[in-house]
Amino acid sequence: MPGKLQHRRLWLVAFFLGMAFTALAYRLVDLQVLRHEELRAESAKDTQRAFSLKPRRGDIRDIRGNLLATSIPVKNVAADPSFLHGRHEEVARILAPFLEMNEAELAALMEPKVRLDQKGKATAIRFVLLKKNVPVETWQQLQGKIVQTYAVPKGKKIARAELAIRDHLRAAITAGDGQYRVYPNHQLAAHVLGFVGTDEQTPEGRCIVSPGREGIELTLNGPLSGARGWRVTEVDGGKREVVAFREQDVAPRAGLNVVLSVDLRLQQIVEEELTEAMRKHTPISASAIVIRPRTGEILALATMPNFDPNRLGDSKPEHRRNRVICDIAEPGSTFKIVVVAGALNDGIVRLSDTFDCENGKFFYAGRTLHDSHSGYGVLTVQSIIAKSSNIGASKIGIKMGDGRLYDYIRAFGFGQPTGIPLVGERSGIVHPLKNWTKVSITSIPMGQEIAVTPLQMVMAMCAIANDGWLVRPRLVNRLVDENNEVVFQAEPEKIRQVISAEAARQMITALKAVVSADGTAPKAKLDYYSVAGKTGTAQKAVAGRYSHDQFFSSFIGFFPAASPEVRILVVSDEPSGRHYGGQSAAPVFKTIAERAASHLKIRPDIQPAVKTESLAQANSAAPRRAALEPGL
Amino acid sequence: MAGNRRNQSTAIRLVPALKALFLCLLIGGSGVGYVWQKNQIHELGRQIKKQEIALEELQRLNKQRRDKLDELRSPPRLDARIMQLNLGLVLPQQAQIVRLPEPTPAESTGRAARGLPERFYADQQASSRRNNLTAARVAVG
Repeated sequence: MPGKLQHRRLWLVAFFLGMAFTALAYRLVDLQVLRHEELRAESAKDTQRAFSLKPRRGDIRDIRGNLLATSIPVKNVAADPSFLHGRHEEVARILAPFLEMNEAELAALMEPKVRLDQKGKATAIRFVLLKKNVPVETWQQLQGKIVQTYAVPKGKKIARAELAIRDHLRAAITAGDGQYRVYPNHQLAAHVLGFVGTDEQTPEGRCIVSPGREGIELTLNGPLSGARGWRVTEVDGGKREVVAFREQDVAPRAGLNVVLSVDLRLQQIVEEELTEAMRKHTPISASAIVIRPRTGEILALATMPNFDPNRLGDSKPEHRRNRVICDIAEPGSTFKIVVVAGALNDGIVRLSDTFDCENGKFFYAGRTLHDSHSGYGVLTVQSIIAKSSNIGASKIGIKMGDGRLYDYIRAFGFGQPTGIPLVGERSGIVHPLKNWTKVSITSIPMGQEIAVTPLQMVMAMCAIANDGWLVRPRLVNRLVDENNEVVFQAEPEKIRQVISAEAARQMITALKAVVSADGTAPKAKLDYYSVAGKTGTAQKAVAGRYSHDQFFSSFIGFFPAASPEVRILVVSDEPSGRHYGGQSAAPVFKTIAERAASHLKIRPDIQPAVKTESLAQANSAAPRRAALEPGL
Repeated sequence: MAGNRRNQSTAIRLVPALKALFLCLLIGGSGVGYVWQKNQIHELGRQIKKQEIALEELQRLNKQRRDKLDELRSPPRLDARIMQLNLGLVLPQQAQIVRLPEPTPAESTGRAARGLPERFYADQQASSRRNNLTAARVAVG
């Protein structure tokens, strides 16, 4: 039987054990219940990681599927200087050839540094970006080299400390995923495509990958960007993901691919011809638009000088401006189509009506108007257009009246943006009727006292080619997803009928005369197509006065005249030498039109007699020629 | 107490021993199974990660090749190649293109009335189109 002493000892042990278990229980409750949230968060901080998965930015293609812009995956290489253990120079020597950077510069970047936090406490900087946009292949080679250099050879005895250092060195250089926007055709369609900026963070903390900065990249930034995904997971001691503990995994949705109405081949033709015009006439700039008048689809849009979006830093800011929508200028004689079309539509004049053009000098409201080419006597309305008589157009304007002219200017879309999906489009300047002076009714019909963008002018002309219907310009044909499923298909959009179909037909008849031998632009005449067009030569305003040696020259034309397939505008800012639109812009129109017609396989509507013979010869000789010249 | 021990058999009682063994095996097996399962999960996770990286790499290479193909087929690239190889390929001039009018129903009816079989007419059309295509190709060349 146990004695009293044993009992006492037993109770003492039981007491201490009880106390110990009580303390443990308290600790358990403290850790698991009372400080649960705090400790859980701390534990999660060590192991749990949330990764943002960036979506791939969509491609931009032309109407025939040619690639215009794409994103390629790249790596942003970074280093953790605290893992280098003072061997940054040695690591820099390894990295330099792969990153194509100076060894000393790299070593300086990787030197251990500290920063002071808000409480003034010094903390080591553990992330230094070494180089952005490194090709994945280069990163893989670099990674292989690092692993190879700091691997532990089998069977070789290495000190424990050195092993730990080597582990750190292998983990010191890391790379984050990035994207690099590539424009494979360099300058081609640069003003349409625009460019992207670098990744940025919104105030709400949302990361925007390569946001669009100009052109379609900016306008359609949302659909192109896609939606980011995320992954909440755990990592082990070596910062490797433990897939078994992956909690949330939402894949990113890639951006939509944009298919433009632009035809790359046609764009190339236009840019080649504009480059040639720049060489020949050395203007400040030259622009051109090719558009389908019935649908408003823009097939080509170019401005020279242009830029390479891949090498943005090499270009001047003014070269990046899309002058077709951003620059406004007095249109000059091309604007005569507005007043004549309006007058024909209202029945105020007929093509055969005559006006006295005063032999080139017309006094009105204390001001003398001149005809820019030479003095004309009595001209029909058709001849006023063909010869581009300022006095004739002014007299039609006077007959029409301020109010109606203003109405037609607005109806043709001047003074308001056309709605092209590009940022930065200007409305132009159309003074309200109350601000018109007495001479406005004579100045505006010949394209003065008004400022328009080249695109507004071409859209107004489209209305004439399109039975009087003004259409909205279209640059985007469709949006497709990764599997090429159409998400959005753009349809032609008619805005309003500005003039009747009959008035439009009469205007086409008058415009066809412009390219005749008697017109202002015989150089725009095509051999196989009837052309309707209008020249424009606007004096530039310099220091409040019209300059006599600085001009905007332009030509807008379409073909085949009876059933227009293509409308082309060519504008040249201060061409040297021959400054008239018919001399500098019309020949460019002709070469673009000829090449565009061949490319688009437009059926000719006229057949020159001499060509018919050669056609027959070509037909009979074709098989023989094929046999003789197989290598052609 | 001593009397009771004397009455007890010295032989090992099989049933309780088996029960104990079974229980030990069950507990031990569960433990080993748990560790094995955890190991399997970890291994599968590792394989998933490896496959994900491989898939990502394949997708990257796929995209890279598609881009290369697009680049090779782009008009500026083809133009450069034509110039490089001095092929002299250009778009045909309008004079080099022969366009045939579409056969009208009246024409077709006329042929039928003259007793020409439709098959013969179709052959003629195809032959004519072939010749025309040859002419157009020559023009392109």
